[in-house]
Amino acid sequence: MPRPLPHLFFLFLLLFIFNAFSKSPWKFFEHRYRYKLSDVIDADRFVKKERYWEAYKNGKLVGYVLISKDWTPNLVGYSGKHMETLIGIDTEGNITGVKLIYHSEPIVLIGLSERQYHEFLKQYKGKSIKGELRVGREISMDVITGATVTAVVQNSIIVNSARMLAEALGILKVRKVSRRRIKKTYERIPWEELLKIGAVKRVRITGKDLGLKTDEVYLDLYFAVIDPPSVGRNLLKDRVYEFAMGKKANFVLLIFSTEGKVSFKGKGFARGGIFDGFNIEQGGVTHIFRETDYRIITEKDLKVKDLPSFKEGGLFFVNSEFIDPTREFLLNLIVPFRVDGEKKVRNFSVPYRIPGRFLE
Amino acid sequence: MNRRDFFKFVGLGGAVVGIGSLLPSQSVAGRRGGLKYEVKPGELDEYYGFWSGGHSGEVRVLGIPSMRCLKRIPVFNMDVATGWGITNESKKLLRGKYVGDTHHVHGSYKDGTYDGKYLFVNDKANNRVARIRLDYMETDAIVDIPNCQGVHGLFPQRYPKTEWVVVNGEFQVPVPNDPRKPPSKYYGVHTIIDAERMEIVCQIILEENLDLAATDYQGKYSMANSYNPEQGVTISEMLAWDQDYLIIFNWEKVREALRRGAYTVVNGVKVIDGTRKTGYPGLVLRIPVPKNPHGVNVTPDGRYAISSGKVDPTCTVVDLELVDKAFEGKIKPEDCIVAQPYVGLGPLHTTFDGRGNAYTSCFIDSTVVKWNIEKAIESPRRSKDAIVDIIDIHYQIGHIMASMAETKEADGKWLVALNKVSKDRFLNVGPLKVENDQLIDISGRKMKLVKDEPAWLEPHDCIIVRRDIVEKVVKHRHDMFEHPLAVTKSEIIRKGRHVIVKMTANAPVYGLTEIRVKKGDKVTFIVTNNDEIQDLTHGFCISNYNINFVVAPFQTKSVTFIADKPGVFWIYCTNFCHALHLEMRSRFIVEA
Repeated sequence: MPRPLPHLFFLFLLLFIFNAFSKSPWKFFEHRYRYKLSDVIDADRFVKKERYWEAYKNGKLVGYVLISKDWTPNLVGYSGKHMETLIGIDTEGNITGVKLIYHSEPIVLIGLSERQYHEFLKQYKGKSIKGELRVGREISMDVITGATVTAVVQNSIIVNSARMLAEALGILKVRKVSRRRIKKTYERIPWEELLKIGAVKRVRITGKDLGLKTDEVYLDLYFAVIDPPSVGRNLLKDRVYEFAMGKKANFVLLIFSTEGKVSFKGKGFARGGIFDGFNIEQGGVTHIFRETDYRIITEKDLKVKDLPSFKEGGLFFVNSEFIDPTREFLLNLIVPFRVDGEKKVRNFSVPYRIPGRFLE
Repeated sequence: MNRRDFFKFVGLGGAVVGIGSLLPSQSVAGRRGGLKYEVKPGELDEYYGFWSGGHSGEVRVLGIPSMRCLKRIPVFNMDVATGWGITNESKKLLRGKYVGDTHHVHGSYKDGTYDGKYLFVNDKANNRVARIRLDYMETDAIVDIPNCQGVHGLFPQRYPKTEWVVVNGEFQVPVPNDPRKPPSKYYGVHTIIDAERMEIVCQIILEENLDLAATDYQGKYSMANSYNPEQGVTISEMLAWDQDYLIIFNWEKVREALRRGAYTVVNGVKVIDGTRKTGYPGLVLRIPVPKNPHGVNVTPDGRYAISSGKVDPTCTVVDLELVDKAFEGKIKPEDCIVAQPYVGLGPLHTTFDGRGNAYTSCFIDSTVVKWNIEKAIESPRRSKDAIVDIIDIHYQIGHIMASMAETKEADGKWLVALNKVSKDRFLNVGPLKVENDQLIDISGRKMKLVKDEPAWLEPHDCIIVRRDIVEKVVKHRHDMFEHPLAVTKSEIIRKGRHVIVKMTANAPVYGLTEIRVKKGDKVTFIVTNNDEIQDLTHGFCISNYNINFVVAPFQTKSVTFIADKPGVFWIYCTNFCHALHLEMRSRFIVEA
């Protein structure tokens, strides 16, 4: 292989204007890494396009490279900053490599090393973006358990950015279905009926589901899109429902749990404002919730009377353009548990869509 | 989707609720009581309680029914935790006065119920009125009340919305305050304040002192009780007459007098004469009530004003529908009185359940007396026939307030008795003890005492507001650019000997690691919390410089001082913010 000429093939990001950083109080938190485009794909020539590069090897197009901040700058971690990631995909939509080029996540504070983080990213190589890529399932968190917020956001950055590019290039076909309208009529529907027709979904996770020997309940959770009045008004007291509908949002998700060892809300939001225990996903694009999208729901806010118990709940306001609740989407639950004192997580995905009877 | 259609639906539902609450009984009738008062971990209260703080000068926010104190809002006092009285922003409002005595806190209204926009509170000590904006739950305006002392009773206009707030002057003084004047030239003052501009519209002076205040539900009148129409300056003189007055001010005539220029300007304020002989005609109605009355409260249906006796064991019920006739001279002022039930010894204040019952606090008896208003009207004067139930409280009750009772949406669920002494109700904490606020379930026919809550000096009054009303407006973070000096980029600007330090605070670092000034420099620190995360508040303390304040998410505060001590002084974050909170520091270096 002929050695490529630097000015053609390389894009160096300097260790960013070093002097500026040395006086910044943020220096400790800033992590910027040297990279070249060939770090994430085996290629000898790159052609700059708008927001990505074409990668050629021996004159043949072998794939593409992108920098995530050009695609998903709004996905931010604990630090409130985007984790800039260099991503390579081949022409079939397989990830050829992933490299973190900038982040300011305080991972050292949660007992991780930079090396562990890079280990975590290695597992993306060879995975297809046409399939599911979820933290706690296809993507293991074993090397970085504890850093769930960072991992969940990082995963979304990689998957969402790569898919957006693949979609733009036609590698990935996304069905474009125009969104159906939700009926505004109200009918009284009892709780059991709402469950039966799938307007409310229940997820019950026990130790067995986590591969443990115990039957102990880890999570008993209910969720629903409350926008159809026949769903929302039957679940929530009127004042709460009206409050929810008065907020600016594409749709509103109600989640509550009645029992279990695990909190679906988690505690990540208390520090960084990001919910690390769950997210929603459609067409491979993940939507992560922040505390600005959240309003607490307690037992008194519910109209449902016959629940055996109540643990915690919330309304989550979805502003993403990428999730259409009239089509099926997934609620991904990232359930933490311990095996012999060691932290593990497992992802459970539950499909949901607003039942057809509530749509026009 | 279109949300407007829901709102139509909602509006209808709201109207139905509103009408329902005006009718007696309805679904709540016959209920045996027994509301749940335990608020379990993770559960939230049903009501916000806003408490005055007496001579602590503050306002407190409680959750009802848990009675948990959720916040203390500094108003007229200095508060070294938040920096109220230390920052430039708060000093601008306080103007050097740090003694305050808050008695009555009331919310702003729209159409007879709270709109969640503001709270208003009086300062009896330094004669001021403050406004608290409820979206941030922070004091945003303070107005001085000249020509007046003992600024006490306060009440906002209830209908159609709060444009005016009235406050009463309990201590008569010369107007203007000329020390040569004899007590016969001392006046009580009724002050009207523009609620949005927080400026004084006008004052009405009269011989009587003015105690508690109220407004009607039609935007026509404000009211005051007077216990010293004698113009006495000693207690014996104040108790001389057997009858004192419930005084009603006619707002139509106030506007007319202002239009016609029937006022004199004293200390920059338009003062209208409301005295007995020379006062503006039709402006003031004096309804005779038994000796030394205290509270005046209006029923949620807007029909009756109830004045409490204090040294007479009765309440006086005035029919507000008759007041216009009395103003026109068609009937005598005393003909507006439709009932005078016996309630007990030392009746002070009355509150309501929206089901036709009144609850009066009796200081001397240490009781809450529940009585039926219609029954009282049917019964002979001074009879006990209207009494429904009596409950002992512990001890020496002052104010009393039921949930939403000062609105047309009174819901008859909870009642708080604000008791002046706790005696043996809590562990002994030495000679100076706390007070005791007691929570009473009034949902049934019989009242039920469910909770004792210690209160530090010294709540006088409170209001209990349904949670949804406040939740519609209250925010998690400031609007950053509402403060004209908000900092997004840290820098030091020198203007001669004035050093302006603009500094961001982002967990866990301040935007500058080192600030150098010369001894004798005037230094202004402007600090903005750039963290968006809910509840991530930063502190800012300069060691040995007697400066501390906190900045909530997206909030900006500033402080100006003379750097008079040379040396290295650590600035540090006083409000826990991050795992590396202790490392959140900067050096303030004052060169000799």
